[in-house]
Amino acid sequence: MSEITKILVANRGEIACRILRTLDCMGIAGAVVYHPVDAATPAVKMAAQAVEIQGRSPVSAYLDMENIITACRKIGADAVHPGFGFLAENAGFAERLAEEGIVFIGPLPDTMALMGNKLTARAFCMENGFPVLPCVSEQKTGKAFTAAAREIGVPLLIKAAAGGGGKGMHIVHDFHDLDTAVPLAKAEALRFFGSNSVYAEKYVASPRHIEVQIMADHHGHVLHMGERDCSIQRRFQKIIEESPAPELAPDLRRQICDTAVEIAKKSGYRNAGTVEFILAPDGQFYFLEMNTRLQVEHPVTEMVTGLDLVELQVRAARNESFSLTQDDIKTNGHAIELRLYAEDPEKEFMPATGQLLAYHLPRGEGIRVENGFAEGMQVSAAFDPMLAKLIVHDTNREKTIDLALQALRDTLVLGVTTNADFLMRILSHPAYGSGRIHTGFIPLYQAELLPPPLTQEQRSLLLAAAALSSREFMDTAFAVPEPHAFFGNWRN
Amino acid sequence: MKRRIDLLGSHYTVTILTRPGETHMTVDTEAPRPVAITKVTDTKHLIHMGENRAQVQMAVKGNMAYIRAFDRTFVLGIVNPVEQAAQETGSSSTTICAPMPGMVVEITAAAGDRVAKGQPLMTIESMKILTVLTAPKNGHIAGILFNPGDAFDKNAVLITLAEKKEM
Repeated sequence: MSEITKILVANRGEIACRILRTLDCMGIAGAVVYHPVDAATPAVKMAAQAVEIQGRSPVSAYLDMENIITACRKIGADAVHPGFGFLAENAGFAERLAEEGIVFIGPLPDTMALMGNKLTARAFCMENGFPVLPCVSEQKTGKAFTAAAREIGVPLLIKAAAGGGGKGMHIVHDFHDLDTAVPLAKAEALRFFGSNSVYAEKYVASPRHIEVQIMADHHGHVLHMGERDCSIQRRFQKIIEESPAPELAPDLRRQICDTAVEIAKKSGYRNAGTVEFILAPDGQFYFLEMNTRLQVEHPVTEMVTGLDLVELQVRAARNESFSLTQDDIKTNGHAIELRLYAEDPEKEFMPATGQLLAYHLPRGEGIRVENGFAEGMQVSAAFDPMLAKLIVHDTNREKTIDLALQALRDTLVLGVTTNADFLMRILSHPAYGSGRIHTGFIPLYQAELLPPPLTQEQRSLLLAAAALSSREFMDTAFAVPEPHAFFGNWRN
Repeated sequence: MKRRIDLLGSHYTVTILTRPGETHMTVDTEAPRPVAITKVTDTKHLIHMGENRAQVQMAVKGNMAYIRAFDRTFVLGIVNPVEQAAQETGSSSTTICAPMPGMVVEITAAAGDRVAKGQPLMTIESMKILTVLTAPKNGHIAGILFNPGDAFDKNAVLITLAEKKEM
């Protein structure tokens, strides 16, 4: 068993907090790195040790592997948990850590290189007989590419091989658009992922996004923790995830989960990973990609299985053999995760910034909150605009949706525009309630997901609230009453 | 007291008239109605207007009121028409503000440069989209307030331009 006594979390925000919490329970010292813009964040306060790092921008500070290695040496950390994003799927980083004798909590570098790249991963799946969508790689150039693309037929989806998070993806409905979409996708891929490699894949309309949580030790035990449905997406990015997947036949569920385990086994997978599938309306499913790390939405799996995935990651990393078997893993009830984003759903989900003048997150039985912000903090454009995740758990889907709505009603964010109200409208939509969800849900129901128009009375009440918001008009109900200032002027 | 209040893209002229014992509000040309506000907690307020009442959660910063009510969150801009008029006739310099939050990718001009209308000055990235900011008029660059790689918020002043001096 490798000794792990101190773990550096090479991340920030809610996920850094979440990892530190488990390390604390396990009696392992948890440290973080932080850029000065994050100095006042909850993660830095929670950590036993915090090491300041610098970079050309806040993001590049966290992406600089030498920053992380220097920090490990400084505080004597013997392992790194990368969280997600930043260096989490960088095989070169895992190799660098190995050279330094520091444990990387994740898969082996070779597996990451194989499964982390969409093209090599799908080639691997194809060779081994796992279902993948027909695709043409851009290694074929010019006419050969177009000819191969014609053979597959439209619609096609152009994707970045090294991509993720929905960036650099373009749907092509007409072959004439192929010549413009490919260079555009290549330029974006180069800019955002450092590689201009793209490929075209058959585009399945209205599919579901079903993914399977995998956990493997270093002794050949590969387990799955059931599936998650992450079909509610905007701009190819997930905003609501749930487990179990609604309206999924038990046979199909078993087939999908077993396929995920077989893919992981075949690739010699270790530690936590997620195998993502596209489930077509006809019931066919195809390997989409593998995420060689913990995922944003892992808490829904933890809520229904009662397992702590970070704990299992650490135990796998220190070479423990899992005593847990597949039969031991039972799911209980239903869980939904809501991603609270600083963005404006009425302006094409454009990221929003500002100061969190009021920031109250819900509490209560069945409600779990993963959060990296505090009231008064500034939300800047430097990082991903996710503020927090609300995860709710109840005995069945209907009750869980009610609890999710309650959790959102109890959420108050003032000063920064969020998607909280939009999430409520999705959860209240009859198609969502009946489990008829797919990745085209948000564009399909766009009009119905708009807020209802204000009544004249509502409008007048809002105007009155704003007009009277200066202190002069305020009558304090519960505090010591102040005399009315009848002729007060506006006070800034 | 007269204010222009912006709500969901529309402008309303709101007049508050206070007399001993009561306050009345007029919206645009509607008839005045009695209004009152009661603070319950730091953010929670009760609004009374004629026969209607609503509980709202509200925070105010500068000229913005952030209000949660009716299962929605609203941002209302409160403009004092007198102050606004004073500002508009004030300085002769021009600022180039960020249309959305993002990051500076490239700067293609330097402080002191003479620039012509339409000349590219800065490339910014927002939501993974590149946008080129150009000079809105002839002049010279008084200041560039961000460096490549810097992040900025919406409405941040990125570049200030001064009027071209008359020869």
